[in-house]
Amino acid sequence: MRKFANLLGLAVAWALVFGLFSFFVPNSFPTVGNLETLARQTTIVGFAAIGMTYIIISGAIDLSVGSMVALVTVMIAWLQLLPCPPAVAAIGGIVAGLLAGALNGFLTTRLKVGSFIITLGSLLMIRGIAKGIAHEQKIDAPLTWLSDLLATLGPHQKWMLLPIGVWMLIVLAIVASLILNRTVFGRNVIAVGGNEEAARLCGIGVAATRTWVFALGGLFTGLAGLMQFSRLTVGDPTVAQGLELDVIAAVVIGGGSLSGGQGSIAGSLLGAIIMSTIRAGTSQMGLPNWVQEIVTGAIIVVAVALDRWRMARAGHVAA
Amino acid sequence: MKYLVFLMIAATLGLAGCSGGEKATGGSGNDSLQIAVIPKGTTHEFWKSIHAGAEAAAKELGGVEIIWKGGLKEDDLESQIKVVEDFTTRKVDGLCLAPLDDTAMRVPVSDAQKAGIPVLIFDSGIKEVEPVSFVATDNFAGGKKAGERLAQLLGGKGKVVMLRYQEGSASTHEREEGFLEAIHAAPGIEIISDNQYGGATTESAIKASENILARFKNPDGTLQFDGIYCPNESTTSGMLRTLQDAGFAGKVKFIGFDSSPKLVDGLKSGEINALILQDPYRIGYESVKTIVAKIKGESVEARIDTGSTVVDKSNMDQPDIAKLVSPPKI
Repeated sequence: MRKFANLLGLAVAWALVFGLFSFFVPNSFPTVGNLETLARQTTIVGFAAIGMTYIIISGAIDLSVGSMVALVTVMIAWLQLLPCPPAVAAIGGIVAGLLAGALNGFLTTRLKVGSFIITLGSLLMIRGIAKGIAHEQKIDAPLTWLSDLLATLGPHQKWMLLPIGVWMLIVLAIVASLILNRTVFGRNVIAVGGNEEAARLCGIGVAATRTWVFALGGLFTGLAGLMQFSRLTVGDPTVAQGLELDVIAAVVIGGGSLSGGQGSIAGSLLGAIIMSTIRAGTSQMGLPNWVQEIVTGAIIVVAVALDRWRMARAGHVAA
Repeated sequence: MKYLVFLMIAATLGLAGCSGGEKATGGSGNDSLQIAVIPKGTTHEFWKSIHAGAEAAAKELGGVEIIWKGGLKEDDLESQIKVVEDFTTRKVDGLCLAPLDDTAMRVPVSDAQKAGIPVLIFDSGIKEVEPVSFVATDNFAGGKKAGERLAQLLGGKGKVVMLRYQEGSASTHEREEGFLEAIHAAPGIEIISDNQYGGATTESAIKASENILARFKNPDGTLQFDGIYCPNESTTSGMLRTLQDAGFAGKVKFIGFDSSPKLVDGLKSGEINALILQDPYRIGYESVKTIVAKIKGESVEARIDTGSTVVDKSNMDQPDIAKLVSPPKI
């Protein structure tokens, strides 16, 4: 019930933000075309936010998602030049994301070092690997159907309402949400994040659960990378710097608690769309970048403050 | 949750309020032409000069509003794609873009064109898309001017060195090729090194310069070459610094490209013989003039060269040249 109230609150917040920008940019903001643009611009952060929701619920964090996205775009372009068919290249890129995530999980559990430090290190390592594979420049790949995944719909495609990539996000978000809420694995993830010691005493394999969570995070970040490639049509080892901050912010705005145990995938996606609506709105208003940066930063602070406040209240109730 | 909603509204309202006071931000009831100008970055001087030129053109034309908007992250492709999409959705009257990548920007640009928005490309080229016009420095011609000036300084004979910038950089590659063409046209001049790269930073250019100097130094301490050419700001600064360190500054003929306060000092002291300067102010000015002309149905040139100028000690104080040495900016 409380979860539902949280989602409703987020939906109202989004509607208010959307309404406000519609007031300032009345000709183009409240249009179907703009909603499609917003959906496309949210998809990359959205995919990564699904994985990050799992990771944050499990009480960990992943700072390396931006680097992973860059690595995946490079891998897809590089594989296509080998040459591999686009489908093989796409799968190869996603697998690269999965492996990078699994490595984060493996190092975190085996070395018994916090995920913040491990992924701070892998942020640099993965970015370095991406630059190495790409010889420190962009890799041009041929235009294939991969670049249509997130392309603007043509006149004869309007029946699809949204590009394929956005539909993929919606379907996979539902699947991920069901796994989180309806399976043993999902309950284990919440238990590990809520109280690791209690989970261990209940016989949950904490290390295995954590490793799987990071691998799952890597898988979704791999999909985010595929979407990024679709938009760029090139493999760019320097893209998505700082993406992790957008993703973490989306999860936290969506009700994820950085202390673990709490969060929802629908909430994270709403958080992501609120952020991209504000970004697109300020951009379409033509506001200078410095204003835009201040607003985005303020939202993150407000979201984290809210997280603390929520924790304090939860602690009070428990006591 | 209530707090989050409240704070978001407050933040957004506050934001909208302060912007409203600054300048009109479009929307309805505005008859002026809205031209979005999208640079590669917003913090470098080069782009600020382009901004100044664009605003000057808008003021001169009247009834034109410039929306100057770079990507939120400097030099980030995804950010630039988003800005182009945002202005496509907003349906601005015209779009001027300096693409960060000639390949990755073709899809958002062709989407904008499909939405009926004329797109003009400035500074750097784009592939597979037909823009209204391409407004940029003719880099090949600039490099050729450097070669001709160096040949003239050397009296048509001698040995020269060229320190290249970086592999894969199209604009500087053209400057290098233009230089080589001019040098090959002078039969008495021999190129003894043209395969070294300075790399992205001044620091890496210093290392490359040191290696060149070490390689072509005679046992008696003199140099085996008489002239040097560098195709951009970082290679020119790096070479200047190295020549100063080794005590050769002013003893060899030295031509660089682009400007910075250090290079201007070098020009004044005679350590640099000449600099080839672009005209960013004019790039911004011509871009806006051209796209507005196109919107008004006039025919425009497909390629506009904003020119480059050879600046040396003798002409650097002339008013029109001084404007290139330290261009007006916003």
